Amino acid sequence: MKRNTTSYKVTQYLMFAGPATLLFCAVVIIPLIYGFYLTFTSWDGISSSKPFVGFANYASAFGDGDFWVAMGRTLIYSAIAVILVNVMAFLLAYMVTRGIKGQNFFRAGFFIPNLIGGIVLGYIWQFVFNKAFTAIGTSLNLGFMKKSWLSTPQGAMACMIIVAVWQYAGYMMLIYVAGFMSVSKSLIEAAQIDGCTQSQATWKVIVPLMRASFVQCLFLTITRCFMVYDVNLSLTNGEPYNSSVMAAMHVYRTAFTNRVFGTGQAEALILFVVCAIVGITQVYIGRKGEVSA
Amino acid sequence: MKKVITAIATVTAAAMAVTPVMAATELTVFNSKSEIQTQFEEEASVYSEDKGVDMTVTMSNDPVITHMGTKYSSNDPYVLSMVDAKDIYTLTPEHGIDLSDLDATADTDYAIEIDGKVAALPFCVEARGVMYNKSAIEEITGEEFDPADYATLDDFKALLDKLVEGGMEAPVAIMSEDWSLAAHYLAQWIEEQEDPEAYIQKLLAGEGDIINNEKFNSLMDTFDVLMEYNYAKDAAATADRNTSEDMLAWGDVAFMFGGNWDWSLIVQSESDSEMGMMPVPQNTDDGTNEKLVGGGSKYFFIDNSVSEEQQQAAKDFLNWMALEDDGQDFVTNSCALVSPYKSNTLDVSDPLSVSVKAYADAGALIPNYNFMPDDHYTTCGATMQKYLDGKIDREGLAEELTEYWKGATIIEH
Repeated sequence: MKRNTTSYKVTQYLMFAGPATLLFCAVVIIPLIYGFYLTFTSWDGISSSKPFVGFANYASAFGDGDFWVAMGRTLIYSAIAVILVNVMAFLLAYMVTRGIKGQNFFRAGFFIPNLIGGIVLGYIWQFVFNKAFTAIGTSLNLGFMKKSWLSTPQGAMACMIIVAVWQYAGYMMLIYVAGFMSVSKSLIEAAQIDGCTQSQATWKVIVPLMRASFVQCLFLTITRCFMVYDVNLSLTNGEPYNSSVMAAMHVYRTAFTNRVFGTGQAEALILFVVCAIVGITQVYIGRKGEVSA
Repeated sequence: MKKVITAIATVTAAAMAVTPVMAATELTVFNSKSEIQTQFEEEASVYSEDKGVDMTVTMSNDPVITHMGTKYSSNDPYVLSMVDAKDIYTLTPEHGIDLSDLDATADTDYAIEIDGKVAALPFCVEARGVMYNKSAIEEITGEEFDPADYATLDDFKALLDKLVEGGMEAPVAIMSEDWSLAAHYLAQWIEEQEDPEAYIQKLLAGEGDIINNEKFNSLMDTFDVLMEYNYAKDAAATADRNTSEDMLAWGDVAFMFGGNWDWSLIVQSESDSEMGMMPVPQNTDDGTNEKLVGGGSKYFFIDNSVSEEQQQAAKDFLNWMALEDDGQDFVTNSCALVSPYKSNTLDVSDPLSVSVKAYADAGALIPNYNFMPDDHYTTCGATMQKYLDGKIDREGLAEELTEYWKGATIIEH
């Protein structure tokens, strides 16, 4: 059999990647194209007619002040959450790879929050912030905990970040753990023989060799934080007074609550592009300086 | 052998021709009232057996239009759909049939007509006002509580003071949800206008002069009093609805603005307090403080693309629900709702609905304005939350509302 012919290659592709390609097209590519088409219509979500309106939806999306406020808020939330999640995940990974007693138990324990769905996690934490913290604050007379943090705009943002750290730190920890484990012990020993202290070996040898883990974790946290919706919905629902509405929630409300599908879809596309640019840039910069042993 | 097989085949074919298997007519129903889903499903199973149809009831927590949009996009519409009144104006012009010829239509004053056709029939009557815990009030005051004695804000405030003196630290609960604050409380200022439609047009043109509007100020004066006596005054924006309803049921607070739909939550407290609903107290003499706001709610329409048998099955169900004993029992007793049909004279069981029925029977309901913009409750709800939290004063509230209405689009009707 000639393996260099086009028909052979096509058959091989269809056999191995055909089903996956079909599914990918059905659930990602076609909806994306259809969504892009909807941005040029004034469809109300029900009617069979979809009047063509050109770039009007993009004009309203760019002119929608609330969308850009939500986008700015998402940027701030993402920047802080991404840093904290990764710092926390790295520290946890460092701890559970030091050979401490019961480290496997700790690994599993830290990872568990990631297994709880965002909606459930949001409701659990809402209870914690509204009831548990305030009860502790009242009984111990701690002023800053007497009132629910969710009742102020800044507090709600802080709560969103705390929950993000809780949710993602364990997952990212696993990637960092894999990174730590992948660094050959001989390199660390060699560094120590050359006079490196423990911390010098960590920062000068282990961390540079773990760059791939950092790139991966940063990409995952950036994209997840940018697209946050479930926790936003169940933890704050945009409150108080819409001050915690993130970009994805604003897009959903525009399209489905306010029933302006075209503008909502255009805003979703803008959010996608912004998220893609940030994510790809980060991966490009991160990969550029990657080193290997 | 061949002859035997042929004979069996012939007999079987003949038997099938004599006794054809008739599939029951499929009656798919969409229910947007989550609290009655269990009762509706149980009734559907009994109804299917009795009437020889295959009735299934589906509920969705998605926004109604989103869910219906999905069904229409997939070319799989419900035969019968129960949606909110404002959705009827969006859905039925393209998807509904005329219900003029139904007996049920002649039995209600709350049907929705669009372009001379009856587009939808109501499932129940719902109204909003101030819910009260009669037992808790009487226990403190030692006098019988008659809500009619507290129609004015001055009298109401005097009662609140008396309750505080009597040991009820904060006699009021306020729901902080945007839909309650904006779609239910704030909307009343528009619904109380002499001509709401004309006033809306003024608002859209930026000429509503909200800050000087008598009705706006009257309702906000009452809201200020409710805020003053709110148990969650320090963190009003995060007051939990379940906790508030529980407190009302157990008499920890005496008053809370809401509607008879709140009974589904209050009843879970299993309190035996006597409760009811009264109009929002206001210092006015035009009679609006003697009426609840409400009317027909949760409207049924029949899809025009399904088969005639299915449409007929849906019509039969609506007539059954409105006119037959079992149907009336389902609405009034199983669902504990007020029926909008005149021939249903059954007594309602839940105390809030008892109040609503009394006001409805007396013609003391201010009609809902069903054409509020889709983003009204989220945007104006946020503004009301700011007011509730003390972040803006009444002038700030009026300014934000004025700005909102200038760019708003009401439901086409």
